Amino acid sequence: MKHTYKLTAFSILLAALIVSVGISGCLKNLPDDRESIATNTQFTQTVYSPVLGRNTLFDNNFSVGNSSQPLTFKIINMRNRDGSAAPELTQLFPVQVWTSPYLGDEKSIAEIEAKRKIENHALFEVREHAGQFLMWAAARSTFVKTQPDSGYVFDVEMSNSGGRRYFRDFKLMPLKEREFEPSTLNAVTGLSQHTGLSSSDVENIIGAKTNKFLSGDDIEVQFHKVGDGNSLKFKFVDSLYNPIDPAQFNLTKWDKLVHGFNMEKTNQYVKYTVAYPVPLIVYQTAYTNTSGDKAHVVFSYDRQAYGNIRSVSNLKLDFAIYEKGDWEITFWFRNESPKFIND
Amino acid sequence: MRYSAILFSLIALLSFCHPAGAQQKKITVSGTVIDAKEKKPLPGVLVRSGKPSIVLGQTDIKGNFTVKADDDAELTFNFIGFKSITRKVTGPVMNIVMAEEVNALKETVIIGYSKKTKEVSTGSSVVITAKDIQDAPVANVLELIQGKVAGLNIQNNNGTPGMAGSINIRGISNVNVSGSGFLTPTSPLFVVDGFPVDDNSNYSYGFDQASPGLSPISLIPTEDIQSIEILKDAQATSLYGSRGAYGVILITTKRGNSKVPIIKYTANFTLAQPPALRKVIGGKGERLMRIDEILQNDTNYYHALNTINSTPFLSDSLNAYYNNSTNWQAKYFRSTFNQTHNVEISGGENKFNYKVNTGYFSQKGIVENTDFTRYNLNMNTLYQPNDRFKLSAAINNQLAYNSTGGGNSLTQTGVASSGASSSLLPAPSLFTASSGLLNTLSTQNDNKTVNITANLDLDVLIFKGLRATNSFSFNYFSQGTEKLTPAALNGDFNQLYNYFDRKNTLYNRTGLAYDKSFANKHNFRLNVFGELNSTNFRADVIQQSGTPNDQILGPLGYDWSKSLGGTLNNLSDLKTASLAAAFSYNYKQIYVLDLSYRMDGSSTNGPDAGYSKNPSVGVRWNFNKEKFMQSFNWLDYSSLRFSYGKNIVPTGSVYDVYGRYVAGGNYNQDPTVNLDYGVIPNTGLTPTTTTQLNGGFDAGFLNGKFSVTMDAYYKQVDNMLRMKDIANINAFSQVSTNEMSVVNYGYELTLTARPLPTDSKLSWQLSVNAAFNKDVMVHLPDNVSQLLVVDPTTGQNILYRLGRNSLSNVLLNTKGVYSSNSAVPVDPLTGLRYRTGGLVYTYFKQGDPAWTDVNGDYVLDANDYVAVGNSQPLVTGGFTSSMQYGPFSLSINGSFTAIRDVLNNDLASRFQSFANPTAQTGLVPLEAYNYWKTSGNNATYPNPYDYTRAGKVSPFRYDQTLFQEDGSYLKINQVTFFYNFKKAMIKRWNISSARIYVTAYNVHTFSNYSGANPENVTDLGRDISGGYPTPRSYTLGLQVQF
Repeated sequence: MKHTYKLTAFSILLAALIVSVGISGCLKNLPDDRESIATNTQFTQTVYSPVLGRNTLFDNNFSVGNSSQPLTFKIINMRNRDGSAAPELTQLFPVQVWTSPYLGDEKSIAEIEAKRKIENHALFEVREHAGQFLMWAAARSTFVKTQPDSGYVFDVEMSNSGGRRYFRDFKLMPLKEREFEPSTLNAVTGLSQHTGLSSSDVENIIGAKTNKFLSGDDIEVQFHKVGDGNSLKFKFVDSLYNPIDPAQFNLTKWDKLVHGFNMEKTNQYVKYTVAYPVPLIVYQTAYTNTSGDKAHVVFSYDRQAYGNIRSVSNLKLDFAIYEKGDWEITFWFRNESPKFIND
Repeated sequence: MRYSAILFSLIALLSFCHPAGAQQKKITVSGTVIDAKEKKPLPGVLVRSGKPSIVLGQTDIKGNFTVKADDDAELTFNFIGFKSITRKVTGPVMNIVMAEEVNALKETVIIGYSKKTKEVSTGSSVVITAKDIQDAPVANVLELIQGKVAGLNIQNNNGTPGMAGSINIRGISNVNVSGSGFLTPTSPLFVVDGFPVDDNSNYSYGFDQASPGLSPISLIPTEDIQSIEILKDAQATSLYGSRGAYGVILITTKRGNSKVPIIKYTANFTLAQPPALRKVIGGKGERLMRIDEILQNDTNYYHALNTINSTPFLSDSLNAYYNNSTNWQAKYFRSTFNQTHNVEISGGENKFNYKVNTGYFSQKGIVENTDFTRYNLNMNTLYQPNDRFKLSAAINNQLAYNSTGGGNSLTQTGVASSGASSSLLPAPSLFTASSGLLNTLSTQNDNKTVNITANLDLDVLIFKGLRATNSFSFNYFSQGTEKLTPAALNGDFNQLYNYFDRKNTLYNRTGLAYDKSFANKHNFRLNVFGELNSTNFRADVIQQSGTPNDQILGPLGYDWSKSLGGTLNNLSDLKTASLAAAFSYNYKQIYVLDLSYRMDGSSTNGPDAGYSKNPSVGVRWNFNKEKFMQSFNWLDYSSLRFSYGKNIVPTGSVYDVYGRYVAGGNYNQDPTVNLDYGVIPNTGLTPTTTTQLNGGFDAGFLNGKFSVTMDAYYKQVDNMLRMKDIANINAFSQVSTNEMSVVNYGYELTLTARPLPTDSKLSWQLSVNAAFNKDVMVHLPDNVSQLLVVDPTTGQNILYRLGRNSLSNVLLNTKGVYSSNSAVPVDPLTGLRYRTGGLVYTYFKQGDPAWTDVNGDYVLDANDYVAVGNSQPLVTGGFTSSMQYGPFSLSINGSFTAIRDVLNNDLASRFQSFANPTAQTGLVPLEAYNYWKTSGNNATYPNPYDYTRAGKVSPFRYDQTLFQEDGSYLKINQVTFFYNFKKAMIKRWNISSARIYVTAYNVHTFSNYSGANPENVTDLGRDISGGYPTPRSYTLGLQVQF
């Protein structure tokens, strides 16, 4: 009897087992919940040419297609054109990163510097989940190959829980530093082509000698780095390089000219302590142009013109300086000085 | 498979008849049959005797019987729902006490058009009797089944009078989304008295088409229903093959079974109340709030002043037009008083019986100008002169009128938009601009639905064991709509819309059934039948605008440019033919085997797809009947079941298969006929196929005290239809294909207990059921691994991804609210704050929602959506408790849904109404919500008052997890208290029984959900503000039987 009882229990268990295995066996064949890696996912840009010495972000370079996000990207096989390793781009370097947003209303250099700190990064990175590439300002042509060298080649691994895909043979062909923009340097050779630049806009300035309107060609703007501090000096000189008193530009809002501090205004120059780069980020502030990528300075004066009318004159310059230092921007009135006196 | 069916039929045909029995001496026996529990006489109890048993007679209305029987015969007393009693004839007087049957295995079930006891059925099915669905007057009986069947997920999410909620058996069977977030309905097939009724066609959602949208099931009066049986697995539904893939619900109406005619009158008086309306800010409070909002948040003070002063609605507070405090919601919603009356006359006995049910049902909607009225006259009769021949016929006439006001059968957008009008506006009249309300109130919408069904059943016994049956039915279903939008509401041109459709269904089933039993051990049954179905449907519309005035609506055709109409392009003519065979075998009712095979052809099958072939197998082992189990006398029954089967539902239309020709322009003065380049014909189109595996366990303990039913299933839905865009080199732009598959698997558990001892005066029955269902997407068109379904209106997209729940929401993940500006993340490279995407972008700031930057590029854009949430409930179930003490009874039932994500679009749109302080919309008080007020606040909701952010960041967008909430709920559906009058008291009025009852319906919903009602959401779990709320109702009812 006891034996039968065991057999009973066994057979019921067996039947239950068959049913449960039957049902769970079906579930085994269900697909896993895996993210999608689609074949129509691709990078839309394969050659990257950042200018060294400044932070560069390459966005809009990736089309996600039907893949599931978040994807994870990794740069692999960073190598020279000949296939040899390129450790200079994979080693970590101290770079300056933002921790709080720069808004343009900071009251001191210390306040600005408190918003940045130093972190170690590889000089050329991919954003881990976005596929965007970025080159840090710490990359210098002294140790990174620049054009006309053919540069570097690398591959990108893209993965998510659905699998991985490799995108091969991206080209990284950096350009040499251009410390300031607009630049006088040739992008590929890095050689200077001009001594200076034109100003962005010249409005209603007439020459002291000829009474003719001055144009951009009559005023050359020269950038000079004279030291390793962090200052910015504006100078105006006549055709013979004699200084013109900045106070002549009597309408100029000197305190709002650049986002600088400790203004030092003499009859030869105006000097500010500034945080570099100028502008600090691509963001429109009171000190930049509308797109925010360049500092915007306006020197302005008024005078009584012919016929007893008030004439307002402006000299404008949009510029960017990427390298820290004691910079001088000189406005050289090449042919004749502006007329400041009343008619 | 085919050969085995033929083989079994041959075996069956080789059998012979039994010889007739010998004559014996007869005596007259009389007596009374009494119900053991209620101590009342039982009318209509059949008295049988002999082998095979012959009906000798039945009890009359007082429970008395008089029969002539052999002096040594055994009399068997049968009554549905009671244990059969067999007594030897002891003398001329026999008094019998019958007890209620509590063994679930003895319940009769109908599977594949033939009756069996549950003991020998291998499928999974549940029976609901009339007792479970009485005492609450609702238009659609399925409302009352909610929470009573494990695995049947009913969400009463539509309170429009006469409409059905959503019904799914064992998870979803279609993942196609139509319009703005409405799931394609997959209601099960209804079989009413043996004749299939389709609830999934255009009437279920009168949404795409302007039809009244009534469900045919709403036309069946609850009082006329004898039982409802829900067939869940493929074995049970296999013989309803041609449309049974979504499950089958059998509805059986009442029949007469009393020698003395019974007149039963039921009346209900119901008060229906709208649910709690949302609070709004009214009058001066609203104006000041708007002005304050502008002053606090505009870009500068002077601009703010200008905004206020240039908006007379805000500044001109002395203007009578703007100086009001109107309660708009009260204009829309009302409490209504409704009544229903139903008279049923039935009588007859086995040889001839009849029933006439006539009823009036009226439900005025809680939204003004909506209602539903039903008149019905249902008749059936059965004539069975002898055991060899049975004829039954039925004619059911149902007429329904309904009005959906200015909305449609699903939504009332007028209520949503104008119900949320500014309280400063004056009360509605034709001279004020609030046309939304007038649209609801003064749109004349008259809908008429006529449903006429005629059934004829023939059943002939050819020789012992072999029966031939034929069932024929014709159904005419016609709907008409007349909708007049008065001129004042439609730019001085009134609009008249006239819709008429008709659907004719012809259905015939012819079958042969053979029963054979060897030595009472081996029982065979073979059933072969063929089914033919022809349905045609046609809808016509006339649309006129600018008739002479709102009263004179003709003449037709006065201006051809404004007189539109014709036949709609949903014209259909469907024909299906099926051939099926079923074989059942059981050995001493211990081992049961069911086999069936069915072939279906449909005119919407592509010519290359051919007939679909659907086999099914079921086995059952009633192991308590085994010898070794006999010693366990605490076990009433126990069995294991297993079934496998396939089933189909035709999908698509004949146009998807063969393409469509359209009338073209003239060529050489001759009209041309062109191909429609919209959809390329797909001649391989097949029906949707469901393959299901089911394992089950049933057991009962301690003489019916406890019983348990467990089921585990795996249901695979293949060949789901989906329209697919194709490359433009094909000339055509789309194709319909059967390329999607979904798997549902789950577990169902039902527990029933009668915890009190049988001799207790208080009887209590408690039943709890729960079902767990998980759905998984397993195949997508073109073998892709994911697809995104875009919802252009709300942005709440849906993701289909292999291996995942089939309908995932795709939303921005709201982590919280930026408490201060420094909390906004900064791109370390560019020094820029997290911002929105696009050419013109906005940086996030304090008070804005903190959305996860999924791809880490410090830009919020389409890359930052995450797949979260499941709009389909994981767990559903319910409970029923009924207590009886003497003549008093109390029954409570409830239902629950758990682990379901609901998108609270209603709340989102309330917050959004703050986005434009100069718009004339209603404002709701926000005190209840933890929103961001000042820097440093740790809030749940972003700052609603800073309206300048609305267009830039849109903090209250629908597509974010902030509004995705847990939609679990527990609802008390119904509480009924009733009293049965004592017989002695009512006898003097010639009343045989009377009961009076009070019912509260839709009593209370317990939920953590922050919105109004977690159930009143669309199938995709979206709480849209335009949904029709479900009323709470209180009913006083009376049931009298003469």
